[in-house]
Amino acid sequence: MAEVGSHDYEYVEAGTIDVKDLPPLDATTNKIMKDEFTTGFSLTVFYFILIFSIPVMNWFAPELAFKKILGGMTVTWFVTTVVMMVMAFIIAYVHTTLYEKRLKKYEILNK
Amino acid sequence: MMKALLEPKMLMTIALMGTIVYITYLTKRNATASDFFVGGRSFGWFTNGSAIGGDYLSAATFLGIAGLTFQLGYDGAYYAFCFSIGLTLLAIFVAGPLRRFGAFTVADFLAYRFHSRRARLVAVAVVLAISGFYAAPQLLGAAQILSMFFGTSYEFGIIFTCIVMVFYVGIGGMKGTTINQALELWIRLGAFVVMLIAAIYSGLHYDKILAAINSFSGPITGTSPYALDGNNVNFDGAAWTGTGFYFPTFWQTISMTIGLALGTIGLPHILLRFYTNPSAKAARKSALMAIGIASTFFLLAVYLGVVGRSIFISGTASEEVMRDLVLGGNNMVIPTTALALGGKWLLGLVIAGAFAAIFSNLSGLFITSSGALAHDLYASVMKKDITEKQRVVAGKVAIVILGILYGALGLLVKDASIGHLVALAFTVAASTFTPIFILGIWWRGMTEKGAIAGLLIGLGVSMWMIFLPGTLPSFLQFKIPGIITVPVGFLSVIIVSLLDRKVPADVNDFMKRVHSKESETA
Repeated sequence: MAEVGSHDYEYVEAGTIDVKDLPPLDATTNKIMKDEFTTGFSLTVFYFILIFSIPVMNWFAPELAFKKILGGMTVTWFVTTVVMMVMAFIIAYVHTTLYEKRLKKYEILNK
Repeated sequence: MMKALLEPKMLMTIALMGTIVYITYLTKRNATASDFFVGGRSFGWFTNGSAIGGDYLSAATFLGIAGLTFQLGYDGAYYAFCFSIGLTLLAIFVAGPLRRFGAFTVADFLAYRFHSRRARLVAVAVVLAISGFYAAPQLLGAAQILSMFFGTSYEFGIIFTCIVMVFYVGIGGMKGTTINQALELWIRLGAFVVMLIAAIYSGLHYDKILAAINSFSGPITGTSPYALDGNNVNFDGAAWTGTGFYFPTFWQTISMTIGLALGTIGLPHILLRFYTNPSAKAARKSALMAIGIASTFFLLAVYLGVVGRSIFISGTASEEVMRDLVLGGNNMVIPTTALALGGKWLLGLVIAGAFAAIFSNLSGLFITSSGALAHDLYASVMKKDITEKQRVVAGKVAIVILGILYGALGLLVKDASIGHLVALAFTVAASTFTPIFILGIWWRGMTEKGAIAGLLIGLGVSMWMIFLPGTLPSFLQFKIPGIITVPVGFLSVIIVSLLDRKVPADVNDFMKRVHSKESETA
């Protein structure tokens, strides 16, 4: 395996083992993965709730979805084409910010 | 001849071509495979973020989204919403770890993750399938613009565009491609912003034009000379602003959402972009920048599609505009709307922007597929002991081969919708590489057989449902079959891996490598 942190991967042969014989991950990598995955998964679940609420609103609450709020713009048009575009950036920004905070925390712990 | 050359659309297009040639000349030195395929990993997050935006925002965004909105109303705008989701998911789960992995191509990931030549070969086939699906509509857009505004034949447009691509990607490689993509992004963002200003200056405020469209019902004056049946085109504004116009059921909508939302993570030419960052931290920042740019673009594209529809029903547009809106199809709404808003100069700028979108995206596809053919197939499988120089030459030969292949595909899709063809590419990507990357990066239990099964089954099922829907019962016939194909892709990987149980012996080292913090500040 190429050195961790090196940028160009060197191909190395390796065999396979049965998954039940796989040793556990080292504690540091395990913690990093768990923290990253928990944050990412939570944000994704929140994001998908927002995403799927739009077709649910359109098909099951049309009186709300197609209510006009800004001239001819309906609630669903505004949410779908404006609010959710902004949300895509906000979710990614929150994720990047939380990630950089965790990075600083690991650097402090490793000192 | 001189008069034709001085037309704004010609001047702007020549200026764009000149810029491409100049940048290509400056970046022609590609001494190593790293230079040719990943730009030497030398670009910062701003250039990479711009280039990712440039790569992602293809003719489908610049022309297709506005066209779909013009044609389908809310259902067309819904495409834009779905396209906007995937980059965020990619930033969350894949961008950083993929950069830390540090290889050249998407197939490299599978080959090294599972130490498998077979997995690499299957990945190459899937990369070529997705890239072909994506490239054909870009060429379609270029040929239609050349045909409509420069009077060339469709076939000439396809061949001309392929020759331009072979030149600039073949000579400049990823370095030239990255700089051109970054520049081209700002050209077309500029074109959209100028159109926005022109529309607002003309009094075409979003809320007002939606109100006018919603209350319109009946024949559109001025369309009969161009319509096939000689009658004015009928339009129902209330249906257009509602849902169910194109996706007739709730489940059709959900299926489309899943296919498009998860498709970005599996697009090889976007994934490749993360290898070009100098570090994982830069990869995340560039993803964030690309998301901001993409969201802005989608928002503008939908608005401009509505502006186009508003102009179409207004009864005040010129004959030229009405003719182009009827005959040009939904792919040509943006240039025609530009002509209506700002005359020939704005049309010229937008045509340059459209070419920028097309070249930008096509160059990414060419580089990705060239990597698949030259690096993955030729250098890694067929002929292993080759020099750096030979790798670069193989990359360039692959570009020429792809020019011919993509050209042939472009000739086959003459009457298709750009936006819808790209949506199908997203569906195939969502059903193949998305499960591979998410599970490969986060799950130690994934095996080589699981990966191969996921790719083959995902590809097979999505192709079947896209091309042969008539062979399926009606409740399984989806316009965009993501609700079936994506879970099938994921489940194939998971079930086969659980049955196989043979994981790579060094998977813990792999996980440490791609999730480690040591390389963050490199």
